[in-house]
Amino acid sequence: MSEDSTLVQERTEQETKESAEQGRTWQPIILGILCNWCSYAGADLAGSSRLQYPETVRIIRVPCSGRVDPAFVLKAFRKGFDGVMVLGCHPGDCHYAKGNYYARRRIALLQDLLKALGLPEERFHFEWVSASEGNRFAELVQEFTEQIRRLGPFKGVVAVENKSS
Amino acid sequence: MTEIESRIREEAKKVLENGLVDLVIGWAAGSVPFRTTPVFIDNAQDVDKLVWNPVCANNLAVYLPKMAKNRKVAIVAKPCDIRSIVALIQENQVKRENLYIIGLGCAGVVDPSKLESAAIRLSDIKALEWEGEGIRIVTVDGEQVLRSTEVHREMCLACTKREPALYDVKFGEAVLPSQIKPRELPELPEERQKYWSEQFSKCIRCYACRQICPNCYCEVCFADRVEPKWTAKKAVPEENWMFHATRAMHLAGRCIQCGECERVCPVGIRIAELMREMAEAVKNKYDYEAGDPKEEAPLLGTFRENDIDPAQHSE
Amino acid sequence: MADKILPKDKTEGFIQALGRKFVVVAPVERKDAPAEFKEIGAGDKVILDGSQMMMPPKDYLLPRYETLLKVSTRPGEVEVQPVLPDEKPRVMLGMWLPDAQAIQVLDKVFLEGKFRDPYYAARRANTMLVAVMPAQMRWSWFCASTDDVEKWKPNVDAIMYDLGDRFYIEVTSPRGEALVEWEGLAEPSSEDVAGKDRLWEQFKSHGVLPFSDGKFYEQLAWDHPIWAEIAQKCIGCGVCSYMCPSCSCFDIQDEVCGTCVERYRCRDTCQFEDFTLMGSGHNPRPDQLPRSRQRLMHKFKYQHEQYGVVGCTGCGRCVELCPVNVDIREVLNKVCAEKEPEPAV
Ligand code: SF4
Ligand code: SF4
Ligand code: SF4
Ligand code: SF4
Ligand code: SF4
Ligand code: FES
Repeated sequence: MSEDSTLVQERTEQETKESAEQGRTWQPIILGILCNWCSYAGADLAGSSRLQYPETVRIIRVPCSGRVDPAFVLKAFRKGFDGVMVLGCHPGDCHYAKGNYYARRRIALLQDLLKALGLPEERFHFEWVSASEGNRFAELVQEFTEQIRRLGPFKGVVAVENKSS
Repeated sequence: MTEIESRIREEAKKVLENGLVDLVIGWAAGSVPFRTTPVFIDNAQDVDKLVWNPVCANNLAVYLPKMAKNRKVAIVAKPCDIRSIVALIQENQVKRENLYIIGLGCAGVVDPSKLESAAIRLSDIKALEWEGEGIRIVTVDGEQVLRSTEVHREMCLACTKREPALYDVKFGEAVLPSQIKPRELPELPEERQKYWSEQFSKCIRCYACRQICPNCYCEVCFADRVEPKWTAKKAVPEENWMFHATRAMHLAGRCIQCGECERVCPVGIRIAELMREMAEAVKNKYDYEAGDPKEEAPLLGTFRENDIDPAQHSE
Repeated sequence: MADKILPKDKTEGFIQALGRKFVVVAPVERKDAPAEFKEIGAGDKVILDGSQMMMPPKDYLLPRYETLLKVSTRPGEVEVQPVLPDEKPRVMLGMWLPDAQAIQVLDKVFLEGKFRDPYYAARRANTMLVAVMPAQMRWSWFCASTDDVEKWKPNVDAIMYDLGDRFYIEVTSPRGEALVEWEGLAEPSSEDVAGKDRLWEQFKSHGVLPFSDGKFYEQLAWDHPIWAEIAQKCIGCGVCSYMCPSCSCFDIQDEVCGTCVERYRCRDTCQFEDFTLMGSGHNPRPDQLPRSRQRLMHKFKYQHEQYGVVGCTGCGRCVELCPVNVDIREVLNKVCAEKEPEPAV
């Protein structure tokens, strides 16, 4: 395998080892792509309200869920993230009025693509979260982290025996 | 020369002579009897080069965005090629008024590699003709008729839209297949992933699939971008996955199921199978069919308020 | 030299015997795809009779993807590590003779002159080439039009002629003797020799096209109208050159990951738009016409001028696989049909 593709995996493995040594459970690495106006603010609120949630999510802030190119998600899986979540404003609440409606179609088809390719759909999570839903954000991360923990570390987009050496 | 062939030639001659178009794009005899080749005719004297037979595989719509930009072009087109044209019109890549579509009813196109599997020596072939649902193959030592399932391209075996959906003039009748090839991706996710891993591992990144696809017209493909670098140029399974997954996404709701990508792949990757899977999903979720003139806007360039909600936990 | 007979039912034993002395590289069967040259391992089904199109053997000598060097950085420390392949004794079996000849073209590019490519050289140095002459000539071959194929024989170490239930192994170089030491091989009968000669004659006379009687490499003109004709239909893909056994072009890219860099080499082709694209945005081959011209001129003219060998060996892959049926046999015939007018007396 080429150098870069192992980036997340190596870290995951190392962290798995470390956390096992420290008697902790394995921490997945999750990519969160969050809309600035809603879920990102929601995440902020969760933080400022000192809500507890697992530190599994690496957040990328985007101006709108309509900015989310499905290739962001594909690339995240290609790089070995254990899970990817995309969060946007509730339908009707998009700061740019329609961005999330466009996103909705793309995401729905991305789910079909992941299914067609045989990637575990449970590793991808799409949700509407508003700026006031700090609680909900914390819960979502909690739940999604649990879900990914149950699935275990992501072994990569290509089934193992076919990996390039 | 078949009757339809002569009508195509007459039509081409007519539109060139009366100045309706400056160029006719069609198929000419290939360098061997089991191939044809794209031909571009701007002189009415050359129309006899045009042919129509079961090896007219190329989807000639691929040439339109460049060639019909500033001039009027007549194009000889199968129903799938016409779906490409419709999609190109819908996506503003070509203007309807620049086109004169010579549409053809179709009876399916032959995959020459299947002829080889049917123990026919390619060098023995003299001609191929439609014969009902099957194909008559004339060779140096006689002739035989093979069933469509034995010789047709995979995509044709799944195609029921064999009447042109948009045309200025139409020749020939469609022959509908008596059975449709089912989709055959494995059910289990792990098996699917294994299947595509095997398929994509073969990819040499020659980009023929992209170059031949009429709907892959981007001036700079994401795969060629250096900044941001979506996928590395090296042909390793993971990067090949990235290329194919992203390309499939880019063609979701846009691929019109012509099967050209699969036909030209030198290493036999079943690309069109993934495309077909996506087209099916598009149909199920949005009742949308790429290349259908009834569609008003590109699928992902529009939305409805009551679209299906992909959120997993919406309250 | 000591020619031998290999009964086909003993092929496996023969390969095993070779495997004791050499790393054996041969076309391995794949699902729905041309066989690919690989160092063979357990469970691999090897196709030795040349009856089907295979990936070009260059895929082994000049891999589609190969790491050239790795750099790792730690605070205050940079370590550069070249990744050179091992020089092991190897034997490559099962390639068509035009493919073997194409390796001569690659040798010129990578081993001769000022620059010797250490990566290619390491794989090539101790590699013997064994070509196969299949029982049936392939329809797309035009080898004998590109060169005097008799000259190709000494460039390989042996040729295996498919005589139905047996291979006739013709040893064509002194070091090739080492390939036929196995005791399972038999002596050829006079019939076998006749069978081999027949196949060779067939090969020599197969695909001899009108263009071959002239010095075609002198007739390809820069401003010939044929280039526009090809370019009009050519879609600018990589099929013809990536599948070509003699095309040698590659790209070098650096990939960065946090603390490491990988420099790798991968395929590239003059048919791609970005092949000649410069950092400034200028592209000296701005459209398909100069690109189509380049492929033909490079193979049939420039390489001949530069190395004295013709860059195309007539393997027919591009003829068979071009998505738009650009058939270079036709192109050459057309170009060469227009002979210089006879000077008026
Ligand atoms: S993706 Fe393939 S099947 Fe779909 S339009 Fe493009 S070439 Fe045709
Ligand atoms: S045509 Fe085939 S080998 Fe070439 S890039 Fe497409 S899938 Fe890969
Ligand atoms: S140019 Fe074509 S025929 Fe010649 S060696 Fe290359 S692939 Fe073979
Ligand atoms: S023909 Fe093109 S790709 Fe092939 S070696 Fe020459 S320049 Fe390179
Ligand atoms: S394979 Fe054919 S279409 Fe592709 S670059 Fe070569 S000549 Fe052009
Ligand atoms: S602004 Fe949040 S989804 Fe558009």
